[in-house]
Amino acid sequence: MLGKIVDWIDERAKVRDLYQTQMVDYKVPKNLTFPYVFGVLALITFAIQVISGIILLMYYKPIIAHAFDSANYTIMKEIPFAWLFRHMHAAGANFFLAVVYLHMFTGIYYTAYKKPRELTWIVGWVIFFVLLLTALSGYLLPWGQLSYWGMVVTTEIPTSLKDAPVLKGLFGAIGETVSIWMKGGFTLGDIALGRFFGLHVLFLPLTLMALLGIHLYLVRAAGISNPDGVEIDKKKEGVPFHPYMTLKEGAFAMGYLALFFYFVFFNMHHFLPADNFEPADPLKTPPHIAPEWYLLAFYEIFRSIPSKFWGFIAFNLALVFLLILPFLDFSPVKSARKRPLFFAMFVVLVISTMALTILGLMPPTPTNAKLGLFFAAGFFLFFLSLPVISFLEWGWYKAKGGQE
Amino acid sequence: MSAWDTIKTAFFGGLTFLFFFVIWIYNPFVHHTEYEVPSQMEEIINDPKAAVEGRELFKTMCASCHSVRYDGMYLMSVASKPEFKKILDSFGTLIRIDEKTKEKVMFLPRDVYEAIAMNDLLMLKSSFGKIPPDLSTMYLSRGEGYLYNFILKPQEVLPGTSMPAVMTGQEENTAKIVAYLKSVSEPSKGEKVKRTIMGILVIGYFIAMGFLLWIWRKKLLANMGYGH
Ligand code: HEC
Ligand code: HEM
Repeated sequence: MLGKIVDWIDERAKVRDLYQTQMVDYKVPKNLTFPYVFGVLALITFAIQVISGIILLMYYKPIIAHAFDSANYTIMKEIPFAWLFRHMHAAGANFFLAVVYLHMFTGIYYTAYKKPRELTWIVGWVIFFVLLLTALSGYLLPWGQLSYWGMVVTTEIPTSLKDAPVLKGLFGAIGETVSIWMKGGFTLGDIALGRFFGLHVLFLPLTLMALLGIHLYLVRAAGISNPDGVEIDKKKEGVPFHPYMTLKEGAFAMGYLALFFYFVFFNMHHFLPADNFEPADPLKTPPHIAPEWYLLAFYEIFRSIPSKFWGFIAFNLALVFLLILPFLDFSPVKSARKRPLFFAMFVVLVISTMALTILGLMPPTPTNAKLGLFFAAGFFLFFLSLPVISFLEWGWYKAKGGQE
Repeated sequence: MSAWDTIKTAFFGGLTFLFFFVIWIYNPFVHHTEYEVPSQMEEIINDPKAAVEGRELFKTMCASCHSVRYDGMYLMSVASKPEFKKILDSFGTLIRIDEKTKEKVMFLPRDVYEAIAMNDLLMLKSSFGKIPPDLSTMYLSRGEGYLYNFILKPQEVLPGTSMPAVMTGQEENTAKIVAYLKSVSEPSKGEKVKRTIMGILVIGYFIAMGFLLWIWRKKLLANMGYGH
C-alpha cells in the first residue's frame, strides 16, 4: 500500500530521483570529524525553536499589562505542559547560539570559509547576526527586570557615538536618533514590545528559514570541506551521504537531544534566570545588568575600552572581521591541521573569546578592565595575523613547488 | 588517532566543556550571596501542610499590604469592596476551588486589578514611599533563604527598606509563609514526580535511540563493505 502511494507520487514528482541524487549519490569525505555535526544540530535546534515558539505564541500576550503574567502565570501555571515548551524555548535559544558558535569555530579551524566556500561563510554570518537579533528580541518578551533593563542598555549603545573625537554634534544626533528609533519613543513601552514581538515571531524566523535554505544549498553546491584541507575527488573517494553520514550524525543528534532535555527538565536556573521573575520596573535599576552570555564577548570588548566611541567601533569591528574572514585569510593552504602558525593563533582566538565572555560577567574593576583589554587584543590579533600568515604560507607553498 | 590528535581533541573538548560549565552551571568568578535557613525551618518550608497554614497567616499578616495575584490573594481593602465579587466574575479566570471553603479562587488580569485597587495602592505608596510589590513570583526571583531572612528581619537583609518588621520572633510562622509563597511558584509534589519521570523517560529514549542508530549503522556499513 505504502509502496503504491510512493509510486503514485514518484510518477508525478520524481521523488526517488531526488532521493538518489541528494542522499545516496551525494558523496562526502570519509574522514569528517565530530565537530562537523554542529551544523545538523543547529538545524535541529531551529526546529525545536519553531515548534516550541508556536505553542508559546498561542498563550503569550504582547502588551505590557499582560506580558509578564502570560509568560509566568498562563504559560507556567495555567496551561498543562506549556511550562515544558517554555523550558524548551528558553533552553533552545541558548543551545542554538552555543551550537552556532561551535559551528563557526569549527569552520574557522578547518578554514572551511576559503574558496569555493566564501559565500557559505558570509550567509552563515548573516544567519548568526539574525539569530542574535532573534534572541535579543525574544528576551524582551517576558517583560521581566532583565528583559527590560537588558533592552534599555542595548538601545543605549548607539548613543556612545556622541563621544566621537570629531563631529560630536553630528555623531551624537545620529546615535540619539537610532536609539529613539529602536525604542519607538523615548522610553520602552507597548510600542517597543509590539515591534520586538512582531520581529521575533514572524519576520526574523522567516528570514532565518530563508537564509538556512540558501546556506544549505551553498553547502551542497560547494561540497563539504575536508578536515585535511585537500579537496577530495568526490566520485572516487567519497562515501554516500546516506547511510554513512546520516546515521552517524543521527546518533550524535540523539545524544545532543538527551543533553538538551537534561537541561529542560532538571537544570533551568540559568536559562530562566531568577532576576527575570521580577516584573519590569522602569523606576528600579537592578544592581547588576549584564547581557546574555552569547553577547558578553562583544560587550566586554565594548566595556573595557575607556572611550565609549572607540568601544563602539571596536565591537562593530569584531563583527565585521568575522564577516570578512575569507578575505583576510588568502593563504593557499587549508585546515589548521596543515597550518602550525594558524593553529597557534586559533588557540589565541578561542582562549580570548572564552576569557572575554567570563570577564563580561564580572564587576568592571580596574584589573578586570585591563584583562578585558588584553584579551580583546588577543581577539583582534587573530584576525590581524591572518594576512601575515597567509603571506608567509604563500612563500612556503611556492618554495615547495606549489602552483597558483 | 595519533598522540597529537588525542592531545588536540582533549584540549579543545576540555576547554569547551569547562567554558559551558562555568557559564551554564556554576560560575566561581561571580559572587553568590547565601542566606542561611535553620534545618527545622527548612522542613516547614518544604511541607505542603505548612503552606496551607501559611496562606491563612499571609491573609492576616501580609494581605494588608501585599497581594499574591497568581493565587487569587488580593489586598484586604480591595477584596472587601462591594463591587469586587462582580469584577472577579466578569474579568477573572478560575485558578482552583478552595478545598476547605469550596470557594472559587480567581485570577484577575493585572490592569483590571490595578484599576480597582488604584486608591488603595496609592495610599500604601504615600505611607511607605513605594507600592509593596505583588508577591506571586517573589519566591522564584529571591529564593527561600532570602525570603525567610527578609521577612523575619527586613532591615538586616535590605537596609533602609520601608517594609516593617511584622514577624519579629516568629520563626515558625515565617517559615510557613515562605512555604506558602513556595507553593504558589513551585509545582506540587505529585506534579514534580511526574515531571521527573517524564524527564528520565525522554532522556532515556534519546540515549537508547542513539545507541540503536549506531548499531544499525555498523551492520549496514559492514554489509556495504565500508569497514567502520
Ligand atoms: C505595612 C505594610 C507591609 C506589610 C504588613 C508587609 N509588607 Fe512586605 N513590603 C512592604 C513594602 C513597603 C515593601 C517594599 C520595600 C522595599 O522595596 O524597600 C515590602 C517588600 C516586601 C518584599 C520584597 C523584598 C524585596 O527584596 O524587594 C517581600 C518578600 C515582602 N515584603 C514580604 C512580606 C511578607 C511575607 C509579609 C507578611 C509577613 C509582609 N511583607 C508584610 C510593606 C509591607
Ligand atoms: C529562531 C530562533 C529563536 C530564538 C533564538 C528565540 C529566542 C527566544 C528567547 C531568548 C525568548 C525568551 C525566553 C524566556 O525567557 O521565556 C523567547 C521567547 C519567545 N519566543 Fe522565541 N526564539 C526563536 C524562535 C521563535 C519562533 C519561531 C517563535 C514563534 C513562531 C517564537 C516565539 C516566542 C514567544 C511567543 C516568546 C515569549 C514567551 C516566553 O517568554 O516564554 N520564537 N524566544
